[in-house]
Amino acid sequence: MSEKLQTLIIEDEELARNLLRSYLKDQPDIEIIGECENGFDGVKAINDLKPDMVFLDIQMPKITGFEMLELIDHKPHIIFTTAYDQFALKAFELNAVDYLLKPFSKDRMLAAIEKVKHHIQNHETNDEKLEELTNLRPGEGFIDRVVVKDRHKIHIITVDKIRYIESLDDYVMIYTTDGRHMKQKTMKYFETNLDPKNFIRIHRSYIVQVDNIAEIQQYEKEAYIVILKDSAKTKLKISKSGYKNIKEVLHF
Amino acid sequence: MKHPLTNNYRLLGYYALFWFVIGVINIVLQVIWYNVPLIYSLLDTGTNYVLYPLLGSSIWYSIRYNSLEEVTIGRLIIFHFIAASILCGIWVSISYAIFQPFITKEKHFLKDGLPPKILGGYVMYAIYLVFFYAVNYYESLKEKIKKEGEYKSLIREAELQALKSQINPHFLFNSLNSISSLTVSNPEKAQEMVINLSTFMRYSLMHNEKEMVSFSRELENIKLYLSIEKVRFGKKLNAEFEIDSHCLEAEIPNMILQPLFENAIKYGVYETTEQVTIKSTCECDGNVLKITIVNDYDASTIKRRGEGIGLRNIRKRMEIIYNQPDLMKITDHKTSFEVQLIIPQKQALS
Repeated sequence: MSEKLQTLIIEDEELARNLLRSYLKDQPDIEIIGECENGFDGVKAINDLKPDMVFLDIQMPKITGFEMLELIDHKPHIIFTTAYDQFALKAFELNAVDYLLKPFSKDRMLAAIEKVKHHIQNHETNDEKLEELTNLRPGEGFIDRVVVKDRHKIHIITVDKIRYIESLDDYVMIYTTDGRHMKQKTMKYFETNLDPKNFIRIHRSYIVQVDNIAEIQQYEKEAYIVILKDSAKTKLKISKSGYKNIKEVLHF
Repeated sequence: MKHPLTNNYRLLGYYALFWFVIGVINIVLQVIWYNVPLIYSLLDTGTNYVLYPLLGSSIWYSIRYNSLEEVTIGRLIIFHFIAASILCGIWVSISYAIFQPFITKEKHFLKDGLPPKILGGYVMYAIYLVFFYAVNYYESLKEKIKKEGEYKSLIREAELQALKSQINPHFLFNSLNSISSLTVSNPEKAQEMVINLSTFMRYSLMHNEKEMVSFSRELENIKLYLSIEKVRFGKKLNAEFEIDSHCLEAEIPNMILQPLFENAIKYGVYETTEQVTIKSTCECDGNVLKITIVNDYDASTIKRRGEGIGLRNIRKRMEIIYNQPDLMKITDHKTSFEVQLIIPQKQALS
């Protein structure tokens, strides 16, 4: 390889960054093009700098390494680093992505870099693996929040702010108390990862937050709609199986 | 179970006294009221109220091996009828043998007295049966209560053990990673951190043996814990303490504070990029020590789920130790999170 490997470090702890830097210092074919202290900066840096390789910490303030994966347009080769996270490890093993367990040795890190170089030489990408990884999360219970990116701004939506979700082919539109956000995820993902006590799949195209339902109206024989609690009184169709789901959650 | 009379000398004493009193009353009545010759009265009393009680005490064994729960009623009645017959047979025979030398003339008295004596023997057997069953029941009940108490304290112990906080592996590995980094950049600091970490670990292991410690000791440990975390988080973590010096003598459950600080770091410090202050205040009035820990948090990124497992364990631990509820109060001020512990004191703090 003639060119140096453009490397980005995303790690919230200074000491951990120092260690990585000192390990990489004497590697002639590696160039550190940036360091980020949190996930927000990390997403921006990956999209702007388009690194070849990223050392990515999982547990970080604001947004986690996993959530970052959902927001990046450019998919570099990623070496995950984590101290202790059973769910992350399970996800890594299922997807055979490389990861470093802190504290790790220099040799272990170099072995991981060798693998990345090998992938690059063979023009292998790990886009699919990363995609699967984001769908595997959260592992532990239901999700608390959803991260979305509109143009250049990242929003963190805590699930209590979600009013309803509408399916748009490969995307979903998430309607929140302050607006709406598009995200590349499936309805299936939200159906399985949002707490079913609070979110009901009422239709192939809709998932509704229970507290946001104002009333359920019958407009034809065996055809119902929900009316939401907003000023526009949004009306959403209910399918047959959706009606069953609503009945189950609301006990009527 | 041993025989209640030989096992419990007090009961034996009462038993002897009871029959002695009955015997004396019998003699007095017979001699004074019925003008029975003293020698006959003594013989009568001796066989009825000394010999029978001696023989009757063996009835215990007949009930011991015929528990009411395990044997059918029919078998029970047959068994006791046979046992009563044998006992009465022995008793009447011995009584006869004792009477024989003294009664020379009116032998028919002995013959006439036989049916009521045998009947009396059976009645006495029945009374003994009831008595021993009652004793047996009482003894097993006592044993059961004792065992239950033992079980309860065992369960309490086990529960307490389970609720005690374990060192979070996440904390441990992150600290080790910091040390690993420091060995390169600042070996002296690395050494200091290894020592701090060891001291902290030792303290947390010690709490398996000791339930209560002084507040000052616990506080020292917390400061140690924070100093380790401070190496990781740098100026992002800011801890402030406002402690009344006369509270330091208070007694407090071991390692009860560390999970609170761990929580504050997890939700406060870890989730933001700005500096977070964890402020601890404490006051003691009369017989309680109140510790309040407040940390800021970023409400836009996390939805606090109220009481996590760490806090719930502390609440339960407090409940078990002090046997009263609501010693932990949680208040979510939306931008800050407050936990208050109320720790009752045996002795008033001066």
